[in-house]
Amino acid sequence: MKKVRLSRRAVLRGVGGVAVGLPVLECMLDRHGEALAQSATPLPKRYAIVFAGQALGGDDWADNTSMVLGKRSTDKAAFIVPPETGAGYSVTLPLKPLADRNLMADFSLVSGLRIPWSASSVEAADVPAGGAFRDFHGGGAGPLLCGTRSQSASFTCRSATSDQIVAGFNKPGSIGALVVRAQPAWYLSGSSFSGRQYISYKGSAAPVEAQTSPSIVYHSLFDGFTPSDSSARAQHDFDLRARKSVLSLISDKRNRLMGTVGATDKVRLERHFDEIRDLELRIAAMPPDVGGQCQAPKDPGPDLPVGGNNAGSGSDQIATNTGYSDEATRARLLADLIHMAFVCDITRVATLQITVFQSHMNVFPISDALGVPIRADLHECGHNGDAMTRGQIPVSTCLQWHVGHYAYLLDKLKNTPEGAGNVLDNSAIIFMPEAGHGQQLNDATSPNATHSVEKMVLLVAGRAGGLKPGRHIATPQAHPGQVLVSAMQAVGYTKDTLGEVTGGVKDLFG
Amino acid sequence: MPPQSAAVSASVARRLSRAEIDATVRDLLGDTTNPASRILAEDEYTPFDNDYTRQKPSAALIDALEATADDIATRVLAPANRGRIVACAPSGPGDAACFRQVIETVGRRLFRRSLSNEEVTAYLSLQSFATENNPSVPHDFFTAVGLMLRSMLQDPEFLYRIEIGTPTGDPAVLRLSGYEIATRLSYFLVGSAPDDRLLDLAQKDGTPDALAKPEQRRAEAKRLLADPRARDQIHRFHAMWLGYRAIPGGTDLLAAFNAETTALIDKVVFDQPSSYLDLFTSSQTYVNNLLADQYGLSRPAGGAGWVAYGTTGRAGILSHGAVLAAFSKFSDTSPTQRGIFVQTRLLCNSVQPPPANVNVDQPPPATASACKLDRYAAHRSSASCASCHDNLDPIGTGLEQYDVGGKFRTHDDGHPECALDGAGALPGYGTFKGPAELAQKLIDSGRLERCFLEHLLRYAVGRGLYPAEQGAVDTLASGFAASHESLTETLLGYVASDRFALRQEDPTP
Repeated sequence: MKKVRLSRRAVLRGVGGVAVGLPVLECMLDRHGEALAQSATPLPKRYAIVFAGQALGGDDWADNTSMVLGKRSTDKAAFIVPPETGAGYSVTLPLKPLADRNLMADFSLVSGLRIPWSASSVEAADVPAGGAFRDFHGGGAGPLLCGTRSQSASFTCRSATSDQIVAGFNKPGSIGALVVRAQPAWYLSGSSFSGRQYISYKGSAAPVEAQTSPSIVYHSLFDGFTPSDSSARAQHDFDLRARKSVLSLISDKRNRLMGTVGATDKVRLERHFDEIRDLELRIAAMPPDVGGQCQAPKDPGPDLPVGGNNAGSGSDQIATNTGYSDEATRARLLADLIHMAFVCDITRVATLQITVFQSHMNVFPISDALGVPIRADLHECGHNGDAMTRGQIPVSTCLQWHVGHYAYLLDKLKNTPEGAGNVLDNSAIIFMPEAGHGQQLNDATSPNATHSVEKMVLLVAGRAGGLKPGRHIATPQAHPGQVLVSAMQAVGYTKDTLGEVTGGVKDLFG
Repeated sequence: MPPQSAAVSASVARRLSRAEIDATVRDLLGDTTNPASRILAEDEYTPFDNDYTRQKPSAALIDALEATADDIATRVLAPANRGRIVACAPSGPGDAACFRQVIETVGRRLFRRSLSNEEVTAYLSLQSFATENNPSVPHDFFTAVGLMLRSMLQDPEFLYRIEIGTPTGDPAVLRLSGYEIATRLSYFLVGSAPDDRLLDLAQKDGTPDALAKPEQRRAEAKRLLADPRARDQIHRFHAMWLGYRAIPGGTDLLAAFNAETTALIDKVVFDQPSSYLDLFTSSQTYVNNLLADQYGLSRPAGGAGWVAYGTTGRAGILSHGAVLAAFSKFSDTSPTQRGIFVQTRLLCNSVQPPPANVNVDQPPPATASACKLDRYAAHRSSASCASCHDNLDPIGTGLEQYDVGGKFRTHDDGHPECALDGAGALPGYGTFKGPAELAQKLIDSGRLERCFLEHLLRYAVGRGLYPAEQGAVDTLASGFAASHESLTETLLGYVASDRFALRQEDPTP
């Protein structure tokens, strides 16, 4: 191949000192296709978490027991964890989308995970390091995401989450982690998200609000792409200048306004102005040039309507047209945008929260499409199912739907060549369900509980940093945070801790 | 750290809720598409949607606000609509006089104050986008107007109700400006921006600040209460307070529930003003045939109208399907949840969360009996559970004959052997049976009206009350009593009070 002399900076048009990401062009690679030729800079490493707000099994139903439309069964392959360990294990019901896309060799399933908790005390003071306060759902959220023990039933983290830590040392430009969510509404009357909508935290009690609109994500990431034809380019230039003027009229008044308001309002309004300034910086940052695999994705168009509240106040009364905002399509659109943001090196870190913690999304539309109609919301699916359909198969069907979106993202990354391999080779992509299927955290006695931080599972896909996927790794009660530590290390993390959790799951590297 | 003065309520810059942005752009710009509710993230309900302690800016919010502003500007400046905000006929893309007029008029409405000359000049600079020599990009006079709108709609002075005030004799206390009072008044009573008349009263060139006068505030409030939007605002308040804002159910039934509750509020508060407590004791209700059948009442003449409850044990809003459907669980009633509703929303008692080792996602586990109330009773047999549940479950038990949809029943759904006798108790105030008797017990307790007023004040100030604000509730309560429980008189009294025209810094951002 003919080598063109090209420095990485050469394609950067100078803008106010803001560093920006660039797509990797083939002519920039070294002979092994593993690093950039001129600077020996390694290929970017990507890190993502795909989150499912559900447990792995149904309350009071053993891993192998189910009822579907009134018919009981004892299908062992319904539970996500296969009986075999190592490579070549059998495909369980939730993993089917991964097998269908020929991805079984591209991820490892880590089972037996457990967040520690005190069996003898419900006091906050007695929660062990990295452990769960004895109240699900809130008590389990913090330690799962950030490795630091929870101290109450509130949904919060007491230290930074892995995605934010990775974004801290691994960002190509001004954009850190891309934080997005497919479920846009809470769907229950008389209450609101109250923290269940966060899986990314910059620090203790500092959640990062997710963007739920695929359209807004698209415009914020890809509006900077310069079109190729000249009239579109003129319009693009005009729009960009106009947008900057619109915002600078606001930021220009900052000092004057701050000089008039009281101390408390100064804090409140400064936060708002800071975010506007960040937006201006993001716009000012030079967009990546389209090239190679990096192409502006299709405009997702106006957002799909947000569904109304659940028609039933629990199981059995769920209708087909409420409590659902076509999360299936939204998740796909967001996965498309994450994929191209990775390919174009706009960001190297993303979180996709498909459903929120304790999600009340109506699962009838998604489960019916998978052949197991469940008249319940996702939360109820785990607890009671509906009168005729409950237990492992329904829960695993909902999980399969979540895994389907994960598989879709992996497939796109895998089918995007980069260097000598593909983008997935340079990634660590986690799939994270909210809960396991062990002892109940609240009463400490009930087995086969959805409110459990035992028998948890994480999936880790990709080959970044020497990850060796394709195996079932059964751990003796490793902390889920240890899996995250290893995944973070795979993308360049040099420490050995996440919150209060120390050490990784070394088997992930072979 | 609590605020310094007990006589004045603390305030901060409050961001408009989604509902307030929707109403504002509807009223000022003619955009009726509820753009904020479509694009911005959901507000947190505590139980009201305007709790400023929950408002934190984020990149996601800023991006969504930019998209919302673009979305609104595009619609407002569509050729068929633009006349609403551009009153002059521009002579060309560079008509500065016309643009100036638009900036001044629209800016004053959106920022709820007049703009300085310097500010107007800054927006005028956008006209260069209308006039630039750029044949490949379509642009005209309205291009600059659109950019102005986008900028104003993303401006913190539009998005936040910023109150600054001027010093008084007390260093902790600030007096609101006329514009700030106009804004408070309008968002409180009609949930939207002040109209031109209020802005004119707030500050007309050279004239004194009319809204500083209590009688003027009262007169304006009276005018606003005659506006249909005031009814919407009162409906919204009740929906959030009583938890029925988005209750589950079939479309026709929901519409009937909504019409029923709206009709009662309108009647008691606006159309045939009477004691507000009639909301809880009303002996008749507004139903259509569907709802009459649902409740087992006689059908109204003409298919919709008022019918008497008679001796059904029903009275007032606590008998409405809208309220009975709220606080339910698993498509059945939850005596515990209904007890929590009465204790927290109607009596303003705090209910401690259950101990951590209780799984509140599930109803009490099955016992030897198939009957629901037996299960609830069994789970109160342990002393540790009983200490809280004894204050909750007996209330719900007294409403058990009324199911989640307000239907009357004498036994558990599907279990004829599980008879429901409807006997309940309001702890501390004696036994009752059904909503009519419960309402009377609540009124007799003397706590209901105070709790209502406390929620009203929370809604007004946009947060939970500081302990020192109980004095403000006392004042509201004496006005309420003196006016024979007239809600409108109570609102007018609050608006005319000194408290309404003053502020102090809330020390907590």
